[in-house]
Amino acid sequence: MQKLLPYLYIAPAFAVTIVFSFVSMGISLWASFYHYDAFAGAAAFAGLDNYRRALFADDSYFWLSLKNTAFYVLMSVVGVLLTALPLALLCQKAKRFQALFRTLYFLPSITPGVVLALVFYHLFGVWGQLLDNAWTALPALAVLGVWSGAGYNMVIFLAGLTEIPNHFYEAAEIDGANKWQQFRHVTVPLLRNTLVFVSVMTIIGSFQVFTSVYIMTEGGPERSTEVIAYTIFVNAFAIAGQMGYASALAWLLFAVVFVFVFVQMRVFRSRRIYDE
Amino acid sequence: MSPKRILLTFFAVLLLTGVFLRAGLTRALVDELFANEEERPVTLRVWDWWSPSANEEYGDYFAEIERRFEAQNPDIDVVYQIVPFGNYVQKLSTAMVGNAPPDVFQSSVYWAEGFYQRGMLRPLNDLLEKNSAAAPAEQVTAERFLPPAWRHNQAADGTVFGIPQIIDAQCLIWNLDILAAAAATDEEIRALFVRRADGSVDYDHLRFDAVRSWEHFRRLTKKLTVRDADGELLQAGFVIHAYGGGAGMFSPWLAANGGRYQDAAGTKAMFASPEGVETMRFMAQLYWQDEVCPPFRRQISDTELFQEGKVACMVAGTWSGKDIMRNTLGWGHFAKTAFPPGPSGTGEHKTMTWGNMLVVTERCQEVDAAWRYVQFVCSLEGNLIRSRTLGYNGPRRDFYETEQWKKAMQERPYLSNVKEICLAGDKLRHTEIIAVNHQANPVIETLLLRFPEIEAGEGPQPSVEAALREAQRNVNGVFDRYNEQVRRWRAKRGED
Repeated sequence: MQKLLPYLYIAPAFAVTIVFSFVSMGISLWASFYHYDAFAGAAAFAGLDNYRRALFADDSYFWLSLKNTAFYVLMSVVGVLLTALPLALLCQKAKRFQALFRTLYFLPSITPGVVLALVFYHLFGVWGQLLDNAWTALPALAVLGVWSGAGYNMVIFLAGLTEIPNHFYEAAEIDGANKWQQFRHVTVPLLRNTLVFVSVMTIIGSFQVFTSVYIMTEGGPERSTEVIAYTIFVNAFAIAGQMGYASALAWLLFAVVFVFVFVQMRVFRSRRIYDE
Repeated sequence: MSPKRILLTFFAVLLLTGVFLRAGLTRALVDELFANEEERPVTLRVWDWWSPSANEEYGDYFAEIERRFEAQNPDIDVVYQIVPFGNYVQKLSTAMVGNAPPDVFQSSVYWAEGFYQRGMLRPLNDLLEKNSAAAPAEQVTAERFLPPAWRHNQAADGTVFGIPQIIDAQCLIWNLDILAAAAATDEEIRALFVRRADGSVDYDHLRFDAVRSWEHFRRLTKKLTVRDADGELLQAGFVIHAYGGGAGMFSPWLAANGGRYQDAAGTKAMFASPEGVETMRFMAQLYWQDEVCPPFRRQISDTELFQEGKVACMVAGTWSGKDIMRNTLGWGHFAKTAFPPGPSGTGEHKTMTWGNMLVVTERCQEVDAAWRYVQFVCSLEGNLIRSRTLGYNGPRRDFYETEQWKKAMQERPYLSNVKEICLAGDKLRHTEIIAVNHQANPVIETLLLRFPEIEAGEGPQPSVEAALREAQRNVNGVFDRYNEQVRRWRAKRGED
């Protein structure tokens, strides 16, 4: 009985995960091989037709939306790393009110995405009509993504920074390293695992960007912000009988994200940086 | 435990107790309120997107419909549920699959045919047959409705799946303050207004056919566009919203130019025709060449600019008059006309007309109650309630003979051309609209935003013709897939 007890404890969470994650994923994989409608159900077996249509049809926006999503991911990852890490470093230096700064920067992360999108929709209208132009609309959405995610990632970095033993800095200082050299040769290497975690999570989250597109641009102007999650949503929930096709798109997205993350994890796999 | 923590705990407990007590009291009040209401054996669930939270007049409307209907049908309890327009398709599918569908709901023409083809709606022909014995004002059969209202509610085989509740059309809405000011010095603008029997100008009414042609429209909007000495736009003659759904004005202009967006059967798109290209160029030239429009701005809607008195003319629905009055705190000095004929048109003034409808779900358990509700809402009485509470004109023929309608036209002159505009309309496109929009709207958006570059051969599309052809090919792909799906659904239900 004692041996079974741990399994009993995790059983509720495990059951919820199985039903709401893996079973629904299984259904969506099954639906991707059918001409499927949310109400009418599976009408006919489609084989690989939905995947073929997504990848090769003239009127498919899979590649365009994947390109837009990839740009968004790139801007988001770079943006998050360039904002969250400096913020964490500054916050770490703050002797007073550190908790206040942490809270303030964290606030956007707990604000509903719809609210942020509506606020920024109007702000971008005032700031040079960024959403009106095909060249600036996607970067504008990325700015919102970075702004809303910076605080959360700052807290993660802050946790990583506090884990770095002080004696590394002391040793570097004794060796004559300046602040930049300390950052370059102590902070960055010892933050490696945190950097990998933040960039992996940002990549996964950015690949799924939807709310800001849905609220602010609906994929426009000129399809410049049509990202993959939006294309999936339109096909799944707004067009009759395209749930199978949307499921195929979702699994293609899964494959892309999986490859990205797998490669990243292999390249930046966790390892000891400096022996203590 | 520190005294501070004890105090905080005390206040937290006090707050929670207060909330629970308050909830209990409210519950008791609610129970008391309904204590005297008699139990009704039938509960009728009705869905709509007209939300009282967005406009309290919808609340008045539903309250009056419920009161009157329940008084006439003591066995039925009507329960309304408001579902946002944008979530309708998704929520309805979920509710149907989850066996918790509404019995009756208002369906936009955008979705009605698709819902029917998916097997979500109950055919109404048997119920309509029985209804033909009712009193004329209570009949909801085809002959009781204006023909443009009775178009979107039936399948090609004659199966009726909805009864029109409203009739709407796209129209040109003119700011009469701006027009009247310009008319003081311009005979051509003065000629737009109705003349009274004594020959004087009636500055509250525009003639239905006041604008004779596209060239005339172009000339008028140019005259109504005012710039300051630096060329800054002070007042625009017309407004085009290029982004997203703004491409919707392409359809009525196309109809006025003798073209069609799609065929009646929903098998092919037809907008990449010479009439379509001419229409696209006309719209883009109004902006880029004639410069009669304010700059394209995503965040600023045409309606906002119109209500602020910054543009003389905009495209909107015939239903929008009451909303404009509401948003401007009572300003109603505007008028509506149909779209003037284009160079390839038939010479008739045209638009697009549609009639959103009440439908009964296929899984409805209370068909008799649902049908009684549909009959009531779509009867003359229901039309008059909508006119009174919401300011809407009705889809019924007898509605336009009533004293209430005549009085409404006197009180709100902007209603005067509404019936003629609705009658002038072609059938609004109706097959898989969202999928069609997803294919075609970005192309129309690009043509509007990048017209000069495209005309110069330097844009993202080689030409207007090529862009429309590409959009048409993709829309035809939507139609092909949809019709194939319909065939599969019918086969699955054993109907083929």
